Amino acid sequence: MTPVASAEPRADAPDERAAAGERTERVRFVPGQPDMWVFVLFEALVFTSYFTVYVVRRTQSAELFLQSQAHLDLRVGVFNTLVLLVSSWSVARCVQAAREGSVRTALTNAYLTMLFGFVFLVSKVLEWATEIDQGFSFTTDEFFSFYYFLTAIHFLHLLIGFVALGVAVYQIKSPARRSQELVETCATYWHTIDFLWVLIFALLYVMR
Amino acid sequence: MSAATTGAVPEVPSGSLIRKIAWHWRYDEKRELWIGWWTLVVFYNLYGLLFFVIARTQPPPKPSLAPSEIVQWFDNRHYGLLYGYAIVFIVGGATAIMNATLAYTMRRMSVSRAFAYSYLVIYALATLPGMLIMGVACTVGAMRPDRDPELMSWLYDFAFLSFEGTMGVFLIGSLVWMLAVLLDRNRVFPKWFGYLNLCNALTEVVVAPAWIFKRGVFAWDGAIAWWINMAVFVTYTSVFLTLLRRMIVREDFGTGPLPELESDGALEPAAALEEAR
Repeated sequence: MTPVASAEPRADAPDERAAAGERTERVRFVPGQPDMWVFVLFEALVFTSYFTVYVVRRTQSAELFLQSQAHLDLRVGVFNTLVLLVSSWSVARCVQAAREGSVRTALTNAYLTMLFGFVFLVSKVLEWATEIDQGFSFTTDEFFSFYYFLTAIHFLHLLIGFVALGVAVYQIKSPARRSQELVETCATYWHTIDFLWVLIFALLYVMR
Repeated sequence: MSAATTGAVPEVPSGSLIRKIAWHWRYDEKRELWIGWWTLVVFYNLYGLLFFVIARTQPPPKPSLAPSEIVQWFDNRHYGLLYGYAIVFIVGGATAIMNATLAYTMRRMSVSRAFAYSYLVIYALATLPGMLIMGVACTVGAMRPDRDPELMSWLYDFAFLSFEGTMGVFLIGSLVWMLAVLLDRNRVFPKWFGYLNLCNALTEVVVAPAWIFKRGVFAWDGAIAWWINMAVFVTYTSVFLTLLRRMIVREDFGTGPLPELESDGALEPAAALEEAR
């Protein structure tokens, strides 16, 4: 995640110092539009409620959940997680390059993020196809209902993430319309998808 | 807008609420917008009262009831369904005023008018799954309680699946509003409200499994398909009612960016005057 940064009046800018008066407190800001962080917090709350329901149901039917969970391939989950973590790394590099004005590097990293996102989507579809082929569908049992629900709603978020990356690329490409704030806003959305996946991975694939 | 007087506008009277309302009715140039806003507030409160208390169709009953239990369900709510939905049918037309008020906010934005027109059309359609189909199905069931239980089961499914499961129109409506807010340069609504529209739109997708499951968290009465979605919907509705009120207070009937409120750090005489009112 792009780190939360802080700013204060520059020591060599007397006008700014005068405007700030005697105020010594540091002015904090978040990457991108603060508005996007409302989305991040609200989605985190909504997903937390989904996870709470999952954990409660899992506690009530522990044996069934364990048996069904055994049919998931942990290696696929790990692969998905690594791909998304790498995509978060590339989108962070994209933001950093855009800040430094390195358009080419920023675009390359944005396209790399798209590529990693696409790899995740393909691997997820293949995983679903494999599970269905083995007879585990959305209605097989409660564990698989949660599995398909959580992975599908995350999949939908990822599709929207491609729109966000498209906006970032559109912004980076033209110096006239370039908005660093929008690029960071789109990156924040992408990091959120990654963050949510890590939690889904832990709950569905790892938790015993 | 409203017919404001050409002479000097007297001060807002202090004291009785009726005199204040009379003043606003006569002199407030935002009279129609306030009527729209109050219609929204009254409608949503009435909607809750009718669906939750009088008709008692919310929170929804179990989808897995046997035909005999469904007949009993209709019987237990006989008068509530008839009178509750009779009022729903009477006040249903208020949605025209509500939708017009919300579309007005999009007309005030810097975006194409196509957004406001799309929103009007999609939410005109939304009254069908949002209340009318359920009202008709429940009333038909309550009016003829001696029907074949299998037919009563059909009405029961039709009522609740149409109400709980058909969220496509609301999904598109939320996305239209989201795009309008995010593209707007007149600062009619904060950008975070645009993103909140996306959150709301995504929860509309979550109800889809209600068509498949009769039990559990994904059924139409389930924790995920109903309770969490309802919490999001109530939050979303409360937020947009609050923001809509602020928008009306800030409205200057111009075409550029809306002035900020004094309390938000920007002093605009017109907005400050409205806040004082």
